[in-house]
Amino acid sequence: MASTRCVCPGDRLGASADFVAGPGVYNHSQHLLAESLGFVQIVQPGVAASDQRPSISVSRRIASSALPKPGDKVTCKVLKTNPRLALVNIVCVGPKVLEEAFSGVIRRTDVRATEIDKVEIYSSFRPGDIVIAEVVSLGDARSYYLSTAKNDLGVVYAKSVAGEVMVATGWETMICPVTKSVEKRKVAKK
Amino acid sequence: MEYVNPEGLRQDGRRPKELRQLGCELGVLAKAAGSATFEMGNTKVLAAVYGPHEASNRSAAASGATVHCDYAMAPFSTGERRKQGRTDRRSTEISAVIRNTLEQTIITELLPNSQIDIHVQVLQADGGTRCACINAALLALAEAGIPLRDMVAACAAGYLDETALLDLNYIEDSGGGPDISVALHPQFDRVVLLQMDNRLPLETFETVVELAIKGCKAVASYMRGQLLEHTRMLASARGFDKL
Repeated sequence: MASTRCVCPGDRLGASADFVAGPGVYNHSQHLLAESLGFVQIVQPGVAASDQRPSISVSRRIASSALPKPGDKVTCKVLKTNPRLALVNIVCVGPKVLEEAFSGVIRRTDVRATEIDKVEIYSSFRPGDIVIAEVVSLGDARSYYLSTAKNDLGVVYAKSVAGEVMVATGWETMICPVTKSVEKRKVAKK
Repeated sequence: MEYVNPEGLRQDGRRPKELRQLGCELGVLAKAAGSATFEMGNTKVLAAVYGPHEASNRSAAASGATVHCDYAMAPFSTGERRKQGRTDRRSTEISAVIRNTLEQTIITELLPNSQIDIHVQVLQADGGTRCACINAALLALAEAGIPLRDMVAACAAGYLDETALLDLNYIEDSGGGPDISVALHPQFDRVVLLQMDNRLPLETFETVVELAIKGCKAVASYMRGQLLEHTRMLASARGFDKL
């Protein structure tokens, strides 16, 4: 059900008893108000849904608020490593590309789920690798804390010392197709 | 000097409770997330919003976005060309006032660890620049799609020749009478900014503030109309209206 009503921030859209607040809508003492400029969309719930109220949302013209939040899967590029952690730049949140990269950290204990005290950062990530990780927390004053402690998280794209794109050969090794040299990585399972 | 003539008209021909001609343009800068110019008579300001992007001071932004605001007057904004230092006290104060007003309007809790930069530049000054700046900044924020609690509209009012005057221009502003700037959340009827230069009796204060609030509401409804028209225009340009 599409509606093309155009609203401004602060416009009252309905009572919170009648609708579920979707994106672009906030609840202020029983009233649902628009929080951004855009068009109202009302979506009827599925027949099996427990909450039978339709959801109301305001489509943002510009999806500006793609910020990493805990639990999000993010794509990042490794900047530098040291024995304790890998410093990365977060470039995508889910499918959304960030306009500006956020900095993140993968600590040694967050690289994999098992034998976390035997992890060596240098045999998991190298600078330049593209890594899929999950946001653990908003982190410290400088960066987000990320984790790759799941099978589907880890390195998805890496170049060998010779500069060739490597092929994964297991969950912790990748091979260079030209020089046949084997390098260690924490590989993401496809 | 006579500010209100016997016919009840002001020097620029307005009635005491009349706003100046309003004008605005949205999306004037391509690189900014949101931008707008706002005119109140001969006062014209430009606002640009960048962000939200990663905060430069993350510990301060942990619970919600920090708002940075930068107010500047162009050297050509007044009749006599100004030489300006970057840090004059007037600009610092107005930056703080604008930031404070907008911080109460933006739903900062939704954007932790991020920062929003707002730059306002006075292109032409003829009194009431801080109000015009708040209005321009609001339009730019709305255009950028940043979550807002409500619109915010600002307007000034003063008291000269025993008459309450709405939206003072530069000559009336420098007339030595009281000058009250008010910013309002129109949906909640909440005053978010109230500033006063010079003193005035309490009874008069009430009427002047009432007048300023009415002015804010008029400005808000004008801005609302412009924002909606702009959005509809963009939507029809992209073919969204034929859904």
